[in-house]
Amino acid sequence: MGIQILLHLSVVLILSPLLMGIIGKTKAFFAGRWGPPLLQVYYDIGKLFRKGNVYSTTTTWIFQAAPIISMAAILASAMLIPLGSLTAPLQFWGDVILFAYLYGLARFFMVLAAWDTGSSFEGMGASREAAFSCLAEVALFLNFMILALLSKKLVLSEMIQGNILSAWHSFGPVLLLMGGSYFMVLLAENARIPVDDPATHLELTMIHEVMVLDHSGWDLGYILYTSAIKLFILGSLFVNILIPSHDLSPVLQTAIFSGGMIILAVIIGTVESGMARIRLNRVPQLLISAFVLALVGLLVVLLKRPSV
Amino acid sequence: MNLLLNSLGILSVSILLILLTARDRKISAGIFLISLTAGCALAFLSAVDVLVSRIPVDCRLNLRMPIGEFHIGMDLLSAFFLLTIIILFFLAGVYGYGYLKDHQEKNPCVHFALYHLALISLMLVVTAQNAILFLIAWEMMTITSYFLITFYDERKAVRKAGYLYLIATHTGTFCLWIMFLLMDQHAGSMNFDQMALTSFPLPLAAMLFVFGIIGFGVKAGFIPLHIWLPHAHPAAPSHISAVLSGVMIKAGIYGLLRLILIVKNFPEWCAAALLFIGMISGVGGVLYALGQHEIKKLLAYHSIENIGIITLGMGVGLWGQIYQNEFVTLIGYAGALLHVFNHAIFKGLLFLSAGSVIRATHTGEIDHLGGLLKYLPWTGHLFLIGCLSICGLPLFNGFVSEWLVFRALFEGISHFQVNAIVVSGLGIIALALIGGLAAACFAKAFGAIFLGQSRSLDNTQVKENSALIYAPMSVLGGICLWIGLFPRVMVSFSLDTASEISSIKISPLTEGTILTPLLTTVLVLLILATLAAILTLLKRMAIRSLPVTKAQTWGCGYSAPTPRMQYTASSFAEPILQIFRNVLGYAVKGGKPQGYFPQETEASSRIVEASETVFFRPLFYFIRFLSAKLRIIQYGYTQLYLFYIFTFLLIVLLWKMV
Repeated sequence: MGIQILLHLSVVLILSPLLMGIIGKTKAFFAGRWGPPLLQVYYDIGKLFRKGNVYSTTTTWIFQAAPIISMAAILASAMLIPLGSLTAPLQFWGDVILFAYLYGLARFFMVLAAWDTGSSFEGMGASREAAFSCLAEVALFLNFMILALLSKKLVLSEMIQGNILSAWHSFGPVLLLMGGSYFMVLLAENARIPVDDPATHLELTMIHEVMVLDHSGWDLGYILYTSAIKLFILGSLFVNILIPSHDLSPVLQTAIFSGGMIILAVIIGTVESGMARIRLNRVPQLLISAFVLALVGLLVVLLKRPSV
Repeated sequence: MNLLLNSLGILSVSILLILLTARDRKISAGIFLISLTAGCALAFLSAVDVLVSRIPVDCRLNLRMPIGEFHIGMDLLSAFFLLTIIILFFLAGVYGYGYLKDHQEKNPCVHFALYHLALISLMLVVTAQNAILFLIAWEMMTITSYFLITFYDERKAVRKAGYLYLIATHTGTFCLWIMFLLMDQHAGSMNFDQMALTSFPLPLAAMLFVFGIIGFGVKAGFIPLHIWLPHAHPAAPSHISAVLSGVMIKAGIYGLLRLILIVKNFPEWCAAALLFIGMISGVGGVLYALGQHEIKKLLAYHSIENIGIITLGMGVGLWGQIYQNEFVTLIGYAGALLHVFNHAIFKGLLFLSAGSVIRATHTGEIDHLGGLLKYLPWTGHLFLIGCLSICGLPLFNGFVSEWLVFRALFEGISHFQVNAIVVSGLGIIALALIGGLAAACFAKAFGAIFLGQSRSLDNTQVKENSALIYAPMSVLGGICLWIGLFPRVMVSFSLDTASEISSIKISPLTEGTILTPLLTTVLVLLILATLAAILTLLKRMAIRSLPVTKAQTWGCGYSAPTPRMQYTASSFAEPILQIFRNVLGYAVKGGKPQGYFPQETEASSRIVEASETVFFRPLFYFIRFLSAKLRIIQYGYTQLYLFYIFTFLLIVLLWKMV
């Protein structure tokens, strides 16, 4: 199991910044530019790791611990999901709850770090992050409920395993609804357009970026890395739900998984190129629509159930 | 059992001693501390003995009481609650000793004596095996806690809060009398063991359930019966708030569980009602808490939220019992019970540390404080542990019990029939929402109080309280961490108790299925800790050769930021409150700058306590209106009153004759 854990960790650590690179390339393509190289995020992280830190005199240890705790929590959550042909190293009943709460832990400390600086900009970002994540979490749990009802299980990797053909054949509409809902949650959780814009520098319009305004050097490197990992993990969960490739050969599984991830990155890039960030007071509506989509999916599942 | 009786004896005798030595504050306070330690130690041992050996003990004294007998006994349910009560009462008592030791204006010895009396009555409430004794103890608990709440009785708000508490709980007790009388009528005995042997028909069970929900719900603080709670908790001294919120309101939960244990068969809608009450109290409590900016009031609303989580667990347990699904039943009740214990621990910790903040700064207004972590390190870090636990975040005890409740609800949706699936599904949504909102609320509380810079106080004057204040808090914090990392002991205690409530035997297999995932969770947390350690180490090593500078917080180019410009707790909560503004009646007044050179302006936000202003206030005004009409018969002539008595007697006599 130890080797499995290390393998999982290294896959996540090595591949996750690549996903961001693909998104960047896609956006550049739509903008008619050449764009930053695929490996840009690796360079960025590497650059930050070579820089010194500036700490505000107001801050306490929480400011420095938050990026570390956040990254550790997100990495630990990677233990619970399968990546292609690699099965999840740890599978147990109710791991979805732990999965969701690990994100909660990461977020809690990042919000506290924002408070720690005493900056009103960061407070603003933290406040928005806390508000929107409440709604996103509810939609996420609804999706988990659908999966639990479909699979009669509450083990993350067993919930998302299944055969592509049979799953799509019998639960096509549900999978579509859930995919739509989960995709919105994914965008919100990862601070992507249309919820948040990772590229702007106008502090007042941002959520996640403004929350980490005061971090620098290694801390910022960790934060950047963490957001790449988070996108990778939530993305791979998405791919696993929509393309259940459980009973195929390992090679095919890996191929499908990596193909799915690349397509996901391209889709995110396309969405970002084609849409503007929506107004802040519209974000709850977006998240509530994610909630409603999932709810409809849940109803479909309940109606389609063979009556007991 | 002898241990428990001895403990009750020690506490009763020491009440007298404390009052007798009231002249000398030092001696009476010393007696308080020693007797509290001895009494609690004995009771603790007796409770643990029952929980470990799983053998209930019993004691009947042949004291002739007006109705019924003096019958106390300790089954697992009693022992579990007794354990909770004892731990919190002891630690809060030590804290209270430190808190009031140097209180100048008042001699605290009467307060100490009442504290003992409250402990005795609470111990009797959970061990009474006879309805009359239970009600007497219940009443004693209400009255003593009234006096404990009104310690600062020179303040008007405190007197008002105490009065409200007294009215509310007595209304509840009224329903309890009816409930127990109905049970007595059917079972032919006021003894719980006799009652448990009778089978109650479903309509009667439903009626008992309604009275129980109202009677016990007032105490527990179910929305909308909670109106006394947010007034009473902030009014009391902090150690009293801790025991009020930690264990006193749990007496209501104990009562409901005892009712379930005795009656057993309920109609299906009762379980649905419990789940709905849980959802409303849970989500409502945390939303109201977000709108509060006084630390103890905020915590008081969080008690309602946690009672909601406990009720969710109870509801799904009851539903499992109705469907005869043993696993769901066990895990639902166990989750509820463990959350009772956990909530007592972390809410006690939070109230005590809030008290420590108030003692050091003389204010509980969150928006006046800030940056206290550097000045109150013990209080601050312990408050952080409390926050992490109450939000149900992994590593701490709240996660374990919320996980159990979640698991029961998820098991519910995969094993129940459609209507139950819908309600448990709603329960899951509610619990997920509660989790997110609670995290936001405590990020707000901790961030605004302990991080950043002080908004209006001079923090350099603030000094950490004495060890007597933070030592009990540290023990509570330790328990939070202990259950979070080693959940086995407490989970199996609560499983045993759950099996007693539902009279289901637990097979080792079931226990394994419940415990193994929890222990694997701990493994993930170990990985988390290792990763965090590695990341820290990497940063430490790399940063040695890199420049680290200290500077002011980046103000986006503005060079003269002041602490007043920090984000406040009210602005932090605003986006969430805006989303739920229709439910909360949230409104912001003022704050808009006028003209090109705006003058100083002020903004205020408020939320409306719907059940208080929309429901109870009009109701009570109506009752007052009606009773004012009755004043016609009140003239003040003694003769007239004698005439009334005579008429009444005549009517009674005639009624009996016919």
